[in-house]
Amino acid sequence: MKLNMNVQKLFRRPLFGIFLLFGIIAVSTSWVCIATVDSQLSEEYESNSRGIAQTIADASVDIILNRDLSALQSLIDQFLEIQGISYIYIVNEDGEFLAHTFVPGIPGEILASDPADTGTVERVLSGADNYVEVGSPILAGVAGSVHIGMDKSVITLKIQQAVGRQMYLISSIFLVGIIAAIMLMNLAARPVEHLLTYAVQLARAEQKGEPVPGALLERDDEAGQLARLLLYFSKVTDPEKAGALARPEAS
Amino acid sequence: MRALTRRKFLRTSILGGLAAPWLGPGAAFAQDESAGSAAGFHEGVSNDEILLGTSAAFSGPSRGLGIELYRGAQACFTRVNEQGGVGGRRIALRLYDDGYQPVPSVQNTMELLIEDQVFALFGYVGTPTVTRVLPILKKFQEENVYMFFPFTGAQPQREPPYGEFAFNLRASYREETAGLVENFLRIGRRRIAVFYQADAYGRSGWAGVREALGARGGQIVGEATYTRGAAYGRSMGEQVEILRNAGPDAVICIGAYGACAAFLRDAIDLGLEVPVANLSFVGSENLLQLIADSVDDSERYTRYLVNSQVVPSYEDESIPVVREYAELMDRYRPEVPESLRQPDYVPFDRSFVSLEGFVNAKMLVEILSRMGDSPSRARLEQAVFTVRDYDLGIGEMVSFSEQRRQGMQRLYYTVVDQGRFVPLDDWRARFG
Repeated sequence: MKLNMNVQKLFRRPLFGIFLLFGIIAVSTSWVCIATVDSQLSEEYESNSRGIAQTIADASVDIILNRDLSALQSLIDQFLEIQGISYIYIVNEDGEFLAHTFVPGIPGEILASDPADTGTVERVLSGADNYVEVGSPILAGVAGSVHIGMDKSVITLKIQQAVGRQMYLISSIFLVGIIAAIMLMNLAARPVEHLLTYAVQLARAEQKGEPVPGALLERDDEAGQLARLLLYFSKVTDPEKAGALARPEAS
Repeated sequence: MRALTRRKFLRTSILGGLAAPWLGPGAAFAQDESAGSAAGFHEGVSNDEILLGTSAAFSGPSRGLGIELYRGAQACFTRVNEQGGVGGRRIALRLYDDGYQPVPSVQNTMELLIEDQVFALFGYVGTPTVTRVLPILKKFQEENVYMFFPFTGAQPQREPPYGEFAFNLRASYREETAGLVENFLRIGRRRIAVFYQADAYGRSGWAGVREALGARGGQIVGEATYTRGAAYGRSMGEQVEILRNAGPDAVICIGAYGACAAFLRDAIDLGLEVPVANLSFVGSENLLQLIADSVDDSERYTRYLVNSQVVPSYEDESIPVVREYAELMDRYRPEVPESLRQPDYVPFDRSFVSLEGFVNAKMLVEILSRMGDSPSRARLEQAVFTVRDYDLGIGEMVSFSEQRRQGMQRLYYTVVDQGRFVPLDDWRARFG
């Protein structure tokens, strides 16, 4: 059976309304999703990074005071393997860089910043991505501080993935909904279509004096009632048939 | 080959399979085919064999270091084994490739200690690898596992808390960098910049330069880094720009040959014509070969090159150990086992790295021989401490003690003349 996907004129406006409604739902849920994921992921990354910075700061005390800086470098290199962490640097109390992971060099923006500031800062490094940097003091700051930079593009990518998944789901629901709506509307429109056809056939029969098609008249739904009403009105407007209509049992 | 039980075979196969993706291209488990051939194998010692374990770079951009170090050591061991071994036991090496990467190095070390049960670790290559392995030695301290003569001059295996588990023969990076700084300052080159590998090795050398300059009231004027594993094909233009902006009188490089050769090439191409010094770890011959094979006028590029070494020139056969090394390298022409061989790598007849491997092996043989007929891990440390003013034939007496876990201190400086490294006698005449 061929699926009729033509939308009846009668339902074009409601269908446009459905489109609009879906659009509003998609945009609003995506916006809520972006805001939620961004906020939660940012908080989570920041919290984890601050924890890592604290761990490195605690472990660094002994190394800075007693051991070679290669051990400090080895320590931060291991943490760099964690996803999302893009750079780590450790400065001493004088702001001198004791260990870092920058290649090919320490960015000018970081060299120009206040190394004692261990708060959360957003950095845009030239020629690189955007970062969120957190810090932790070493030995309450008297031995320096540890700073960890997280690549914001990782968060952006996760947001894109989450929103993408949501959009995929909404689009699928939308597509299925639209097909179903068209089919249901066509189903609902079919009696009207039959009635219209009947009216045309009735008019043609009246004009040519042919027998009136009776299939629709046998239906017991609203379409059958309307068909009988149309037949009645056609006979009412024809005086010759009015009597016959008034005495259906006799005919 | 020592008979493998089915269980061990399965474990090895499974571990090998799991580890293979970690180890990267070219990584493989390899073993000396005759290793562990006798029954009664305990702590790496059997009636006719002493088994040593090595994890080093046999693949990747720094493979030349692992290959050459092994070749030099193998020349010595082959001669010793031909002469009946140590106390009647031949010396065998079990080799693993770590590609100069820390994670495979740790995995290999666990394999060597748990599965292979080697007598001692020997011939490791690199600071980032060794620094990650040191905690394992502490974990195994009750089993008296020691690391002998790693090819790195870093401090972690020379000081607490891990210094007691390793013995070093070569001078440290701290000594190498201090020597370079002192010589540069002496000829009036006071603005010193550092180009270094962004890892523990680079940091170790950087810290050495910083300390040496700090002791003389100076500081590093500029620094640039590169990622470990960078090959010669990579551009170091950004690094050169960073250092050039600092206006240095000299640059000290702490890296491996691929990246350091690339830096030297780009420095000259971009007009940074100042002395460029490398540490002994760089792999001098590999560096020189990369330059010579890729530029037309290699002399122009190597004119400013100066490399510090921890062994004397392999060309100086007036030195007994060099004479012996040259003879044995010519006689045996040692090669790495088939499974680790790199088809596109052509070994050097002689090199500073293989000479260091030879000297390391010679010293270890002497230590093992001091344990007599019953070598055991428990007596190994004391055997090392019996080495006092020992003449290794290198022109420097070697001593070890509880407080002295580094046998030698002497440094040598070399420059390129007519396509080969020769001793640098006069810094002022060359770079003044």
